[in-house]
Amino acid sequence: MKRFLMNITGVILVSLALPAFVSAHANLDHAEPKVGATVNQSPKEVKIWFSQSVEPAFSTIEVFDSAGKQIDKKDSHVDKADKELLIVSVPALDPGTYKVVWHVVSTDTHKTHGDFKFTVKR
Amino acid sequence: MKITRFALRCAALEAILFSGSRALAHGYVGDRFFPPTISTDDPFAVDELALPTVSVVKNAGGDDGPGNWEWDSGFEFDKEIFPHFSIGISDTYIYQHFRHQPAAQGWDNLTLTAKYELWHNEEHEAIIAIGLEGDIGGTGSRGVGRASFSTLSPKLYFGKGFPEFGDPLWPLQPFAVTGEIGQSFPTSAADLNALEWGFAVEYSLPYLQQHVKDIGLPKPVANMIPLVEFSMETTENRGLGGLTTGTVNPGILWETDYFQLGVEANIPINRASGSHVGATIQMWIFIDDLFPKIFGHPIFGERS
Repeated sequence: MKRFLMNITGVILVSLALPAFVSAHANLDHAEPKVGATVNQSPKEVKIWFSQSVEPAFSTIEVFDSAGKQIDKKDSHVDKADKELLIVSVPALDPGTYKVVWHVVSTDTHKTHGDFKFTVKR
Repeated sequence: MKITRFALRCAALEAILFSGSRALAHGYVGDRFFPPTISTDDPFAVDELALPTVSVVKNAGGDDGPGNWEWDSGFEFDKEIFPHFSIGISDTYIYQHFRHQPAAQGWDNLTLTAKYELWHNEEHEAIIAIGLEGDIGGTGSRGVGRASFSTLSPKLYFGKGFPEFGDPLWPLQPFAVTGEIGQSFPTSAADLNALEWGFAVEYSLPYLQQHVKDIGLPKPVANMIPLVEFSMETTENRGLGGLTTGTVNPGILWETDYFQLGVEANIPINRASGSHVGATIQMWIFIDDLFPKIFGHPIFGERS
């Protein structure tokens, strides 16, 4: 029994340790405006922080209005000081619900994508 | 703690597979990540590695023998061969501790699985797959009572998220269901035919935080998926038709970028299913992310 438990513990410890030497895909950590939030004023930018550094050339944020029209300024860029932060500018937004669609490639080339909504209060 | 040779062999296997660049993500349909579950199989024909799955339960004594504490440790490995078609292998090492007699231990019969993803719908976060599972008789240890005959089980797998719940019902959007239903055909008349069925109801806090509404959950809670699994079998013949046995398994999964750790209680649904609550802990290693040169894509062809 003791040996059985030691084997199992060893496998778990080794499995936990190996990922420390590699990197993985970038997932959304948090955003501004927050995912699903209702804000009182139009934001000037949509910011998304990811769990990994993202590759500027292959990472974008797009913002769509409720009619499906892209309304961002198409200037997605990675923050110079924080490689995990992706930003896109938006014009003054009318009250309504907006959909944010993001596609990123982490610096080790893993691709991920996702979307969320936020609302500008009427 | 001393790490034994068995653990080091597993480490060597993982180290050999380690190398560098990009793979497709595992278990996604649209925005939904369907986690591999513990007691029931998920509907994805992708590269997966469960190592280890450890369970413990106290078995009551009966006609089959004296009561014992049973510790099981197993693995499952699946590899996508063609786009949306995978084959898998799994086995479990069984250790039974008896009170007044020597312990019994040995491997369970080997299980081979073939699975094909028939249909996806990204918008509705839905997937259907079919498969064939074979329990290969004679490959396990007779010391732990493994069968000498094989059992074949064609299966249907499914998964469904619920993005259809609109904004007013946003708290329900993180719910998802996965499940399987199969029919077992033993190659010996000594065993029963049975309907094998099970499903998992899960509530994805990562989905809530990343796609629905950031409610400010702190980590590691924000990366957890509470779930309840129902793993059942209904016998069909040999005088035992209609007897359903199984367990209800409430638990929690914790997601990281590299692995998923899960723990469940295993509660028997009736006396025929067992007399004590067991527990299972399982680690899924996301080999498609860790070893993308080897995993995360079919051997032949490209995933669409």
